[in-house]
Amino acid sequence: MSAVSVFRKDFRGARRSRMLWAAAVVLGLIAALLAYVAGDSGGTSAETVVSLFRVLTLIMSILLPVVALVASYLAIAGERESGGIKFLLSMPTTRRDVFLGKLASRLGIVAAGVCFMYVAAVSVALTRHGAFPAAVVFGTLLVTSVYGATFVSVAVSMSAAAASKSRAIAGAFASYFALVILYVFPVVQIPAMVRWLHTTILGADPNPDLYNAVQYTSPYLAYRKAVNLVFPAEQRQTVFYSSLPEEFDPETMSANAQLPVYLQDEFSLVVLAFWLVVPLLAGFWLFQRSDLE
Amino acid sequence: MAAIETHGLTKRFGDVVAVDDLDLTISEGEIFGFLGPNGAGKSTTINMLLDFIRPTEGSAQVFGIDAQRDPERIRERIGVLPEGYGFDDYLTGREYLEWTIESRDADDDPDEILDMVGIIDDADRKAAGYSKGMQQRLAFGMALVDDPDLLILDEPSTGLDPNGIQQMRSVVRDRADDGTTVFFSSHILSEVEAVCDRVGVMNEGRLTALDTIEGLRENAGGRGTITLECATPPAVDGVGDLDGVAEASVEGARLTAQCTDPAAKVDVVRHVDGQAEIVDILAENTSLEELFNQYTGGGRDGAGETPDESSAPEKASEEASA
Repeated sequence: MSAVSVFRKDFRGARRSRMLWAAAVVLGLIAALLAYVAGDSGGTSAETVVSLFRVLTLIMSILLPVVALVASYLAIAGERESGGIKFLLSMPTTRRDVFLGKLASRLGIVAAGVCFMYVAAVSVALTRHGAFPAAVVFGTLLVTSVYGATFVSVAVSMSAAAASKSRAIAGAFASYFALVILYVFPVVQIPAMVRWLHTTILGADPNPDLYNAVQYTSPYLAYRKAVNLVFPAEQRQTVFYSSLPEEFDPETMSANAQLPVYLQDEFSLVVLAFWLVVPLLAGFWLFQRSDLE
Repeated sequence: MAAIETHGLTKRFGDVVAVDDLDLTISEGEIFGFLGPNGAGKSTTINMLLDFIRPTEGSAQVFGIDAQRDPERIRERIGVLPEGYGFDDYLTGREYLEWTIESRDADDDPDEILDMVGIIDDADRKAAGYSKGMQQRLAFGMALVDDPDLLILDEPSTGLDPNGIQQMRSVVRDRADDGTTVFFSSHILSEVEAVCDRVGVMNEGRLTALDTIEGLRENAGGRGTITLECATPPAVDGVGDLDGVAEASVEGARLTAQCTDPAAKVDVVRHVDGQAEIVDILAENTSLEELFNQYTGGGRDGAGETPDESSAPEKASEEASA
């Protein structure tokens, strides 16, 4: 009951935050613009819209973590630094209620942002292309929301563990770097680092499966592979080329089936579930034990 | 049953002792003043009662409920004006109060409380934009919601104008008359004297005194000072030997005697009158400030209650309450 009261207060405050509205509008504009320029790819209008959502998920894979982290990193640390938490905990409330209420509120905010974006994309796509591939739309919406939720989970947990705003900011930056950036740019990539460590330092033979598995621990890659689960075969992207057998022929074989189980698309759900749950447990554990001054 | 009970309550931050082995019992219905200079460990103690911070050793109970084990049940029965709070949500004063009422499942009328604490005219402005004094009034109002059995007020007069202090005092007295236990901290003695049944004095993490204000006066030695202005320099001989006189000194034509017994002042006058012509008599009782000093910082050389005499603890306890 009191987690609900924490949630309501937080959500009510967030609804009035101009910055959040601005972020939602920017997201909506990006989606609308994307939906508007997509097209003339030669296929049917349904194919056009499906590939539009394919591009949308690519953009979301980089952008949504920023949105989720920014929307959540101060959830608890901000209250701790400003002293608002003293009012929360003067009510008949436990720290668990505060943690859950804040988590629910920030999940709601990020989910609302994603839905806002989808409404913009769908309505422009409908008016311009006249197609609504429901399975892809709702499928990617679900996967994208889960992806956003993993970063809310990371940010709220770090926010609960951090005693001050500055630490929470540092944590948000660090996690974006460690969970997204290090997997995006070719120059500084986790697999390259692991490979170097493995072959140069340990002197072992190269093992692409291992590097890909390490890479697959990131929610960023998990999301990119999870959306494959809802797209039709021709729209799926192959991520771990280096783990495919040499005789692989993209024309006749499914790339996913050729990979070891722990590199297949389905495994992404395990990775996302991990990032959804484990940070929360750690953050809550630390929050329970901390001194709130 | 005691409203508040602590046993050996201790909090260390690193190697700094903020609260040292505190045993304190406050009965139901009492108005208790928790006194001490800044950084004495008052807020740390209160924060442990509220489970904002966790004791290193010892235990704290409120209405017989362990503060660390079941804070929620305690919070159902207490109203809190915390130290270092902040209004940072995009909510108005009235909305904050309404949220409090809703969270407590209470049926208070927000307007009534807003009026009681004197911010009804500003109720629809954002609380974050309030002045310190108005925020303090709002926070006090929030503490009053649902008529709690115990009010814990941490430095309630901070930022208030004299009128606001007066208002708050009368509300506190009214609530206490209705049976509410009040526990409040302060570094202002006069404030404590005006409302409290009993006072505890904290200094450097330790409880150095626990008594009524009158009791404190007596135990502090009740030193009164009498100063006699004479026409000619009087002789100090014999004055110091009088019963109830602690010490006497002469400076020019002025004799000053410290009396542990108020009645001794008359004896001093009689004694000196025989030797020199007295022009003027000045008598002072122990002022509240002296009393305060005696139990806290100023009492370091006399009271013997504070074994560590370095200046380190002072700095340390400031950090602790930050």
